[in-house]
Amino acid sequence: MAYHSGYGAHGSKHRARAAPDSPPLFDDTSGGYPCQPGGYPAPGAEVAFSVNHLLGDPMANVAMAYGSSIASHGKDIVHKELHRFVSVNKLKYFFAVDTAYVAKKLGLLIFPYTHQNWEVKYSRDVPLPPRQDLNAPDLYIPTMAFITYVLLAGMALGIQKRFSPEVLGLCASTALVWVVMEVLALLLGLYLATVRSELSTFHLLAYSGYKYVGMILSVLTGLLFGSDGYYVALAWTSSALMYFIVRSLRTAALGPDSVGGPAPRQRLQLYLTLGAAAFQPLIIYWLTFHLVR
Amino acid sequence: MAFTLYSLLQAALLCVNAIGLLHEERFLKNIGWGTDQGIGGFGEEPGVKSQLMNLIRSVRTVMRVLYGLVMKKSNIYIL
Repeated sequence: MAYHSGYGAHGSKHRARAAPDSPPLFDDTSGGYPCQPGGYPAPGAEVAFSVNHLLGDPMANVAMAYGSSIASHGKDIVHKELHRFVSVNKLKYFFAVDTAYVAKKLGLLIFPYTHQNWEVKYSRDVPLPPRQDLNAPDLYIPTMAFITYVLLAGMALGIQKRFSPEVLGLCASTALVWVVMEVLALLLGLYLATVRSELSTFHLLAYSGYKYVGMILSVLTGLLFGSDGYYVALAWTSSALMYFIVRSLRTAALGPDSVGGPAPRQRLQLYLTLGAAAFQPLIIYWLTFHLVR
Repeated sequence: MAFTLYSLLQAALLCVNAIGLLHEERFLKNIGWGTDQGIGGFGEEPGVKSQLMNLIRSVRTVMRVLYGLVMKKSNIYIL
């Protein structure tokens, strides 16, 4: 099963094997911070000297050294714990984007009807990062769109004179909870229908997060053009998003080795995809209609 | 419907508890959802129903362990 869902050991072993050959995810910009030459002391030492001069106390030295060692130790512990829960390499794959990809992907989310090839490209069994493949899902757009949506909601509520800081937090957590519930429902559906595909949790998170772009557009149009503009934008972005989700998930969820699978299972997968797509307009409407009155 | 993360946690806890309440012998067998009844061959397709039964059984097993820990800690011995 070459395309078994890649959690933990399987995925990282696979990728470690292919790592020397796969293209680097990020450009190496570590040459940007050279040691400062000669008689120009580094800013940190400067601060330390001035603080020492200020306190004039060897105990302060010891306390500072102790504090910094504690801080670095704490940072190591946090890193270790984080690595246990979230595989940072897999996460990095989703953020390897560039401007051209983001622009094209946003265009694709708004108008997906003319795009021909929806397959995700691979290079030696490793999926290409989003920088080199338009069809690859990413987490950058959903994250940014989520933050933009929260800010836009705050602005819309402020225009209606219903703003308070607690409402902002409530809006953010509501949207987050809905995404989490949708991802859990999709995971449950994929498990029950025994779909063996490349779709990991982060993929589902990415596809669920693309609806924020539609939400932002609807709210923006509603603010600019009133209630009618809101409904028009809602209809347009909903249908575009539904088409996008169905086309993307059909090629991603089926996977290359279950094309000739038994008929009832394929039907289940189809229902799952259609259900996920039909859920999008409902949730977009639910999360935005109270912002545009 | 304004959700907070805490309400999501509560809902998840209540759902898991609800699944854990389904008793294997008294209840699931009478419906036909016992896990020793539905095993087909070792073919390719487990089917939705057997996946669901396996899921319920695994949730019950995990919950029994957690419940045991909690009960032991608070000195109550039910179950």
